[in-house]
Amino acid sequence: MAESRQKTVRDPDEVSLGDRAAHAVLEYREGRPAALEAVVREMTPLLWHTVRAQGVEPQAADDVVQDTWVALVRHMDTIAEPHAVLKWLLVTARRGAWEAVRRRRRDEKNRTELHDGPDPETGAHREVPSADPAPDAVVATNDRDRTLWTVFQDLPDRCKELLRLVSLADRPDYKYISEAIGMPVGSIGATRGRCLAKLRTLLDESGADDTWRHA
Amino acid sequence: MSTPYSPDEPFDANDEATLAALGRIALLADPVPPDLVDRSLFAMTLAALETELMTLERMPEAAGVRAAEAAPTQARTITFTSTSRTVMITVAPGPDGVRIDGWIAPTGEVDIELHRPHDEVVTTRTDEDGRFAFDAVAPGPASLVARPDDGPAVSTPVIEL
Repeated sequence: MAESRQKTVRDPDEVSLGDRAAHAVLEYREGRPAALEAVVREMTPLLWHTVRAQGVEPQAADDVVQDTWVALVRHMDTIAEPHAVLKWLLVTARRGAWEAVRRRRRDEKNRTELHDGPDPETGAHREVPSADPAPDAVVATNDRDRTLWTVFQDLPDRCKELLRLVSLADRPDYKYISEAIGMPVGSIGATRGRCLAKLRTLLDESGADDTWRHA
Repeated sequence: MSTPYSPDEPFDANDEATLAALGRIALLADPVPPDLVDRSLFAMTLAALETELMTLERMPEAAGVRAAEAAPTQARTITFTSTSRTVMITVAPGPDGVRIDGWIAPTGEVDIELHRPHDEVVTTRTDEDGRFAFDAVAPGPASLVARPDDGPAVSTPVIEL
């Protein structure tokens, strides 16, 4: 299906997050930072979840998100294609996240060698706690949400990352998000795509789809 | 058992509703720190000044402890260095806010700016010995920028007053 012919469910004139970010970069270069401030407010949740999806702990994720915005300011004049700034931000945030994960592993390795060492009885190394929020940590307020969140945890990690990110963006942004996280074009957008098809199938099998459909 | 959904079907309203719910739950399950946006905006404002960022010197006895974690009721001294300048400040709580006493080397008269989120930049000038002070500063994140007449501007990392 041709991308250009896709019909959006939302108002077709609605400007996407990526469009607003591109506009904000051009404005900023002209000495008007207000649009960029609005984009920072709107896009910080997307960057936060991009970083957290890589397994970065909250304190470090906080730093990575700030550093990503600072990097944008520093590279403002060298971003050749403002319309791709959304993708640029996501890629920068992911690289920062991987660096943070490497740093944490290195620190943990040093700490383990210095102080803790392997468990003297079993010889096993201590478990590194996962940075992902526990599935049951969710404050789902109703059965529908609880079911959705439970079923979502059964998806492959790549699907979880893709869906978690696109759920915080607008339809026209989906293709930039899939590109930024290395998913094939067409993972989601004009068509439902593999990940969302899987999620909805699992929802059906959980028996929750009736509540979904008639919500 | 129901029929699996096809990945090749057009994205429909139920897909959209599912994603909207997922986004809502994801933000509840893993909330964005409430002041992350403000701190990011402040960091961006400072980055746009294009100053040379100074390094926070750690005191040997305070190794591994962030200056910001020191007890807020006592004075603390922080030293920042860059290739061209050293700035030392003492931050002490007072009745109307925080008092900052500072000293910059090499000495000479230098403009010192106090940057804080949401506030106007406050500028003072050092005396000929390189001393400066800011009185009654509200607690919170801040950064100092030094603009010597004869060298590049330098800025401190964000500290918590």
